[in-house]
Amino acid sequence: MNLLEIENLTKRFGGLTAVRNVSLHVDEGEIVGIIGPNGAGKTTLFHLITGFLKPDSGTIKFRGEDITGLDPFKIVNKGLARTFQVVRPFRHLPTIANVMVALNSPRGSKKIEWLKTPQRKALEMLEDVGLSEMMLEPAENLAHGDLKRLEIARALATEPDLLLLDEPFGGLSPIETEYLTKSIQRMHLDGHTLVIVEHKLHALMKLAKRVIVLHYGEKIAEGTPEEMAKNEKVIEVYMGKVI
Amino acid sequence: MVTTYLRRIYASFFTNIVDKPPRLLALLCFLILLFFPVTRPGPLLLFVLTYANIIAIFAASWDLLVGRVGQISLGHALFFGIGAYTTALLYKFYGLPLWATIPLAVLFGASVAVLLGFPSLRVKGPYLALVSMAFPLILTGVIFYFREWTGGENGIWGLPRFFPIEFFTQIGFTYSEALYQQKVAEYYLTLLFLLVSGILLYKIANSKIGITFISILDDELASKSCGINTTKYKLMAFAISACFASLAGAVYAHFLTAIGPMGTLSVTLSFLPVIMTMFGGIGTIYGPIAATFIIQTLDMYILRTVVDVPMEWHPLIFIIIVVIFIIKWPRGIARFVTDKLEDLQEARELEERDKHIWKREKKKSS
Repeated sequence: MNLLEIENLTKRFGGLTAVRNVSLHVDEGEIVGIIGPNGAGKTTLFHLITGFLKPDSGTIKFRGEDITGLDPFKIVNKGLARTFQVVRPFRHLPTIANVMVALNSPRGSKKIEWLKTPQRKALEMLEDVGLSEMMLEPAENLAHGDLKRLEIARALATEPDLLLLDEPFGGLSPIETEYLTKSIQRMHLDGHTLVIVEHKLHALMKLAKRVIVLHYGEKIAEGTPEEMAKNEKVIEVYMGKVI
Repeated sequence: MVTTYLRRIYASFFTNIVDKPPRLLALLCFLILLFFPVTRPGPLLLFVLTYANIIAIFAASWDLLVGRVGQISLGHALFFGIGAYTTALLYKFYGLPLWATIPLAVLFGASVAVLLGFPSLRVKGPYLALVSMAFPLILTGVIFYFREWTGGENGIWGLPRFFPIEFFTQIGFTYSEALYQQKVAEYYLTLLFLLVSGILLYKIANSKIGITFISILDDELASKSCGINTTKYKLMAFAISACFASLAGAVYAHFLTAIGPMGTLSVTLSFLPVIMTMFGGIGTIYGPIAATFIIQTLDMYILRTVVDVPMEWHPLIFIIIVVIFIIKWPRGIARFVTDKLEDLQEARELEERDKHIWKREKKKSS
């Protein structure tokens, strides 16, 4: 069964069409990558799916249920969480409290196992991404790479069925990238379905089984990473045309 | 049975209050306020402190809304005025006793906050501040329009006091002594109100809800992406804050026995909690309470009686003192004090730990 199904999604900002007639689907248990050059409409697509922007036309179905134009927090409580491209931590809160905010949400609090305190659960979430040592540090003191992982821990705390990661490797060092790749693989083994937007193709190729290429808001290609690397259209978009 | 229970209370008192210097300091301040009337202060000082008790509730309620949720309200006097006018009008037209009108005023203040919250949530940041500034002015206009009922600029007079004077004369006090004892009783009652509302506000600010409040202050979009219904939480913050502000207004009305738009709805009153919070430390809850006592005694007592300066110089001296404090400690005096105390405690704990380690090393070597 398709977990997420998007049909003919269009979004215009004035004269600019950021997303044009995009249709895609995500099956349960897969990792889908979305790539494309700057301004291809990847982040806009994420904003549309998670309700931060309202589409001009088209439908978004999650588990067969129409979620087009719902409030962001309602979509999260249905089990579709996201992270942001630019990190958005709660700067005044300790790291562990950042995760506990997500555990205060209706879905997050419902999904806490019996006889487990929110604090315990939040600590486990931090351990999963390797931040448990920083647990009492205010989030504003954390390094950029740690904040990226905190973002993911926070999104995971709502126990999403589908997690959208917006450039999780942006601004990370090679070692951090490797570490995060491993924890994303672990998340996948735990049964999370993932959609990843990424510029670092190398990291994405290791993870994704299926890649969708966007260009000027349009879907131009779809297939396995190897196919995409050979696809002429994709090479043209990334490298330019041979004259 | 009873002894174990008492022992447990004693132990929790030590771990929760005595071992935490900021709380110990708060307890000491409270004890000073509690035993203050024993020194038989003059009626003016007693009046200033009772008024400070009331304003402290008001300032702390503003701090919860602005310092913790980030919903800047520059018209908080609206809720103060609603509290005062509700209790006064209910007494005037229905003759309800004071213990019924005050809870009704609190409930009415909270429901008005929720109603006004809906349109106010559409605007953010400085625009919300501007919109909220207009509300008390509108209510003042309404009060002037219905002057047959509300008394217009003259206000409403002759409200009942918390403790009627007969209560004291019957015990056997002379009339003048009874008047003084009435003031003392009012002081203790307002102090009790302050204690209860201060603890409640502090508990709310540091609870699960409080964490969510700060998440909205820091980043509303991120909070939404965590599945938090931010609208609900913001309205909740408006309602909680308005509850305590209306409580302060209602208590004020029965303390002064007369209210008017100048005392309860003025722009000055709206800005009072802003000054207190900036002075005491935004987002701390206890900061504005401490600042209220400092500023009110300074402004209304020390500069008027202790130091004999001409009336015209008061605002200038007052402004200079406040500005110096804000330059020196921009995060507020309460934060400064608690930070210092926590540093001291940390140093002490480290020292103790070092001693243990040292002992262990000694044993090993011997």
